[in-house]
Amino acid sequence: MRLQRWIYKLPLRIRSLFDRQKVDEELDEELRDHIELKTQEHIASGMVSQEARRAALLEIGGLEKRKEECRDARQITWLQDLLQDIHYGLRILRKSPGFTSIAILTLALGIGANTAIFSVVQGVLLAPLAYSQPDRLVLVWQYNLTLKHPISVSYPDFLDWEREARSFQQMAAYDSQDRNLTAPGTPEHLNGEEISSGFLSTLGIKPILGREFSPEEDRQGGAPVVLISDRLWRSRFAGRIEALGKSVTVDGVDYTISGVLPADFRLLGDDADVYTPIGQGDPLIYGDRTIHPVLCVARLKPGVSIAQSDAEMSAIQEHQDQLYPSADRGLGASVKPLKHEFVADVSGTLLLLLGAVGIVLLIACANVANLLLARSAARTREFAIRSALGASGARIVRQLLAESVLLSLAGGTLGLLLAKWGVRPVLAALPGSLPRSENIGVNLSVLSFALLASVAVGILFGLAPALQSSQTDLQASLKAGGRGATSPHHRTQSSLVIVQVALTLVLLVGAGLLFRTIRRLWEVNPGFDAGHLIAFNVGLSPSANKTVAGMRVAYQQLIERIRNIPGVKAAELTILFPLSEHQNIGPFWVGSQEPPSSALAPRALYYWTGPDYLRTMEIPLLQGRYFTAADTASSQPVVLIDTALAQAYFPDKDPVGQAMTIPHWGPVRIIGVVGHVRHWGLDERDAYTQNQIYASLNQLQGDWAPLFYRRLTVVVSTPLDAAAVMPAIKAAVYGASGDQTIYGVQVIQQSLAQSLSSQRFPMILLGVFAGLALLLASIGIYGVISYSVIQRVHEIGIRMALGAERRDVFRMVIGQGLRLALAGVAIGAATAFILARLLSSFSHLLYGVGAGDPATFLAVSAVLTGVAILACYIPARRAMKVDPMVALRYE
Amino acid sequence: MSKPSDLVQGTLDLLLLKILALQPLNGFAISLRLKQVSGDVLQVSDGSLYPALHKLEQEGWISAEWKTTENNRRAKYYSLTRPGRKHLDKEADNWGRLAAAISHVVKLKEI
Repeated sequence: MRLQRWIYKLPLRIRSLFDRQKVDEELDEELRDHIELKTQEHIASGMVSQEARRAALLEIGGLEKRKEECRDARQITWLQDLLQDIHYGLRILRKSPGFTSIAILTLALGIGANTAIFSVVQGVLLAPLAYSQPDRLVLVWQYNLTLKHPISVSYPDFLDWEREARSFQQMAAYDSQDRNLTAPGTPEHLNGEEISSGFLSTLGIKPILGREFSPEEDRQGGAPVVLISDRLWRSRFAGRIEALGKSVTVDGVDYTISGVLPADFRLLGDDADVYTPIGQGDPLIYGDRTIHPVLCVARLKPGVSIAQSDAEMSAIQEHQDQLYPSADRGLGASVKPLKHEFVADVSGTLLLLLGAVGIVLLIACANVANLLLARSAARTREFAIRSALGASGARIVRQLLAESVLLSLAGGTLGLLLAKWGVRPVLAALPGSLPRSENIGVNLSVLSFALLASVAVGILFGLAPALQSSQTDLQASLKAGGRGATSPHHRTQSSLVIVQVALTLVLLVGAGLLFRTIRRLWEVNPGFDAGHLIAFNVGLSPSANKTVAGMRVAYQQLIERIRNIPGVKAAELTILFPLSEHQNIGPFWVGSQEPPSSALAPRALYYWTGPDYLRTMEIPLLQGRYFTAADTASSQPVVLIDTALAQAYFPDKDPVGQAMTIPHWGPVRIIGVVGHVRHWGLDERDAYTQNQIYASLNQLQGDWAPLFYRRLTVVVSTPLDAAAVMPAIKAAVYGASGDQTIYGVQVIQQSLAQSLSSQRFPMILLGVFAGLALLLASIGIYGVISYSVIQRVHEIGIRMALGAERRDVFRMVIGQGLRLALAGVAIGAATAFILARLLSSFSHLLYGVGAGDPATFLAVSAVLTGVAILACYIPARRAMKVDPMVALRYE
Repeated sequence: MSKPSDLVQGTLDLLLLKILALQPLNGFAISLRLKQVSGDVLQVSDGSLYPALHKLEQEGWISAEWKTTENNRRAKYYSLTRPGRKHLDKEADNWGRLAAAISHVVKLKEI
């Protein structure tokens, strides 16, 4: 039966909603008719028409009230009221276009900036990874218990893990490689990966063609198969199915294509083109339990938590430590979520920026709230009348809130558009790049955020003015004829300004601290001559690549040719150079006393270089000598060490002449000490080890030589601009045999700047936000002081009449503004101090600058106070120009 | 006077439904009939009539139609709906039982 009733109820409700006017007219007519008829009846029973009418009206009671009751009985008043509020609000806002446009612009800026930052946070931090059930994927690390740092995994240990672990549905291993493709088509350098057979199924990815590796292929002696990327498939094989089974020649070996990977597949951020089985990798590296090249990714079994898997892996590794003490003792294991690997570096910065832009929004809201307060003072008459007509306080508050939310929704829509168009260009213009930036865009979550933020903001800045307006004294405001109470508004406005100034100071301090950090970092000596260096990789021709001797000769000839280029000061080979984001770490020990386990030995960065490397890089020689031509494969193995190693391991004696042992090589003699180089970045954050060891490639022999020679980089020192000298260098590379390739060109000076991007990125944004905040706050001060001057015209007139000079009035107004500003600065400084200490304790953004750096605080406070005084200047001048006679008459 | 108490409202609603059960009427005619039926017992003023009618219409127990009367005037005529009739029967039943129970109790007390 309830359903049947709705057949009648529904059309009624729809009508009441959409055809309100007609419904109201009918109600009117119905009641009028009734009164008419009742009047007739009374007349019929003998009353005079006037009396009859009066009697009829009395019987029905208050006509308007009855109408309201009938309307109430229709039960959708709340929706009708809302629509009415919206309608009315729109009219009111249209009537004051100046106010409305300023408010909407201010809100658009605030909400737009917030939406933009949120879209970045959402794309980089919140959006799940593009694998199946990505929250079940983890990375499993080995862990050096002495250095307390996670390290990558040795392949034999990985195989043991795979066998023993129970927490994971599947485990897989991978390692990256530089590859040179020579056939089919033109030689090209590619990024490659070595992956285990279960790799794709661990991630939940299926090849679009073919299949992934089988366990039989994933071992020494397995068939040489390769998976290629979609890009390679389309460029070299025209995207045809016949590509399966064809072969590619990579690094001199013919591989058969057994599958093609999807176009959007990205191995954890890197774009690789060829994937080979890791089990077929060089046994020198992958068969050695003391070498750790591999990264291990795994999928948790359903119901197993990360903590549980971490505990199991630690236990398994402990067992390994006992089985293989010389390799594994001193190692643990650690399990981390996969996403953490991507985003841990930037999550702190992004959240900081989200907080900062939220502060800007608060300041913008304060401005709009102040605007509303000023306006509502002019509308008290309107509210008083509505109140007298029966509107409850709540109704008025609701209507004012509807106006505020309309404003904020309009501002939010405009802001959303600004964010949508602005995010990508701005990100492109900023230094550095964010991981997973392809995910950033305006999607459903971002839209919901913008909507929620707009509504919340509207209620936030609308509430205080609305509450104040609904409480105005009816009598007083009706009598006063339109200008309402200034006292309560003034207090609220002043507090809002103080809050604005305080928040602005916080942002300015943040930007200032970062700015000083970057200046400090620029002053840091990297330890080598960064200004004149270019580094690049060379893919030798296949004929030269076959033997170590061949490679040596090819490189030697290349270096000679490059050294002969006019403008080139020096050139040399190296396996590793600073600020490259590569590392080559290994154990060593002093003397010949081998530590009980490889893992317990100290670590150093190993630079295997040509003999002239240190001179090319201008790394200063502090003791002993550089390499010479006399240091060959048949003479005694020698190394140079850096000051960090010297101080740590030879604090009391001269290191030169001392003996050291380098695993896989043997005993060596130290021939010199050189300056320390900032390999990991100017602030040496995440420095795994500070020790640095230099060895000569000329002395390298045996099985390791081909491995090292395949991964050489050429460094060139030239005072010329890189663009000027590169063509000649390229000619030198190509000129040899026509099939040499050049790739990975880096200008070290730019790498230096890049390494600072993790500070420059937030500094620039924070600076922009602080600038915005400063602008908004100064507008806020200007507005409030102006308004106050207008309200106090009468008082100013009296003061002047009583003898105050114009100068005194000027000072009085400036003083008022100054008081607000100083209060804000004081509160802001205290807040900034607390926040900065909190931040510096768990982020590494600051360098060389304390969280409470007095210079920054003073400078910023001075700037802010100055701006505040400036903002008061115009109102103060206006106050100064008041004519006392006019003012006294002005009511 | 604000909204009438629940008991009076409930009685008024039933009365209106009962009145309209016989024939469709406009508001004025209903007020006349109401006076006849309840007279001095319920003291229902004209003022509470129209809100009650609109509420019943909103609930779907009665429906309204604008018709031309004999005097060539337009008037809003209310009539009982199907669900309204069923509701009336059910409620009248309840009332009857309640009234009987009350009188029964009263009788008992007196004896």
